[in-house]
Amino acid sequence: MADDLKIVGLLCNWCCYGGADTAGTARMQYSPNIRIIRVMCSGRINPSMIFKAFQEGADGVFVGGCHIGDCHYDAGNYKWSRRSKIVEDILEEFGIEKERFRHEWISASEGEKFQRTMEEFHKTLSKLGPLELK
Amino acid sequence: MSYVLAKSQNNEIHEAGECGGAVTSILKYLLDEGLVDGVLALSPQDDVYDAFPVFITDSQDLLKTAGSYHCAPTMIGDLVQKYFFDKKVAFTVKPCDMRAVEELIVRHKINKDNIYMIGLNCGGTVSPVSGREMIDLFYEANPDDVISEEIDKGQFIIELADGSEEAVKIHDLENEGYGRRKNCQRCDVKIPRKANIACGNWGAEDGWTFIEINDEKGQELIDGAKKAGILETKSPSEPAVEGRSKVENIMIKMAKKNQDATYPLVSEMDEWSRCISCYACRDICPICWCFENCELNKPYFKDEANIPPLPIAFQGVRLSHMSFSCVDCGQCDDVCPMDIPVSLIFDKLQKKYYNRTGYVAGVLDDIKPPLYSPEKTEL
Repeated sequence: MADDLKIVGLLCNWCCYGGADTAGTARMQYSPNIRIIRVMCSGRINPSMIFKAFQEGADGVFVGGCHIGDCHYDAGNYKWSRRSKIVEDILEEFGIEKERFRHEWISASEGEKFQRTMEEFHKTLSKLGPLELK
Repeated sequence: MSYVLAKSQNNEIHEAGECGGAVTSILKYLLDEGLVDGVLALSPQDDVYDAFPVFITDSQDLLKTAGSYHCAPTMIGDLVQKYFFDKKVAFTVKPCDMRAVEELIVRHKINKDNIYMIGLNCGGTVSPVSGREMIDLFYEANPDDVISEEIDKGQFIIELADGSEEAVKIHDLENEGYGRRKNCQRCDVKIPRKANIACGNWGAEDGWTFIEINDEKGQELIDGAKKAGILETKSPSEPAVEGRSKVENIMIKMAKKNQDATYPLVSEMDEWSRCISCYACRDICPICWCFENCELNKPYFKDEANIPPLPIAFQGVRLSHMSFSCVDCGQCDDVCPMDIPVSLIFDKLQKKYYNRTGYVAGVLDDIKPPLYSPEKTEL
């Protein structure tokens, strides 16, 4: 069932978390599958956090950070963007479709982009169905 | 960078050494002059299939470490990092040792000023158990009678107690699943060019060691040893230098071929279901220096109830920590009690990382793996 899909969202405090907030206060509708974890910066996200989420039963993991150039800590999102490539490479090895892992730059004012991204991601995951790890 | 041919002036060493005895002589020079506190070298045990690392402080003891041991693959970088951080130490390195040491220098776990790296050209090593089996199967000799072994001109050569020699083509051995260790078969770094000097028999005349001097420290080493009267040198001829690079190129070409052949996805390999969570691969890994504080031991990843562990929650985490710095030394394969080809996946991801960034672990002059640099660049 598509409604049972679990998405873990790791959102940066300064931008994407604010974006989700904006979407919420503006009462924009999006699928309620995401469980949001607020982190101070996308640059603080370790690949192991993504793997842990999948291990614990997430069907998809979303990471949201500030637009390039807007990082509150100057270069955190650059670090994350480089790290995300490693995550993609590793997930591929373990048979997890790369579509199940998504990251996006969303600013605090882009409530609408957050809504749209969530809808898209949910649609993608619905097509893939629940993740079966082996 | 320059080339010399060197020969030991000490008869005993020249006899015992592999070609010219230059490596042992240089180590002796370092010890005698007090330039190092000690030398870390491999000392053979009961037979040619066993040797273990010893820390030598008296140059008399060096003699028993002379010669090559292809059947005793050991990782030196790890030892230097763990036990000799604040000592001045000289040691010999295969290319993978050198790469591990370089990676550890980047991580501030080895002090570059404290070490002398004497590089050894390496065409590959043989695991002791399969080495024994291989000699039993492909040679007419009894594995216990072998007194020395050598890899030369694509052949694995053994010498018996009565002085006779037997050789079999490595290619044939490897077709049957024997020969060099799997990671050595796909290794494309054959000459340790980040060591102070790189020694070997490729391109050398009989009784001489061919040395490539890689940096100033290496040049000082050779000059010093010459002055001390323990080393004799001459310049190699043009064809010798060419011959050496030809050998290297052939080796690299062979390695590339093996790389293309062997890289399955983890999800396609059922070997991973054999994992018993013993952490031996992590503990032996020269790059995984922080294992006392390892994330895998944290309560949120430690999962003793689930054996085998989910590959992504075990190797996935290790891969994300250090796969980009994997030097493909193959120690993880060697120690795995369940014979999982662990290094395959680490090497594969290092190659993927190379394709993205151009970073080769422990070979380039980059300061850090680009993953951790503060630079504002995306991949």
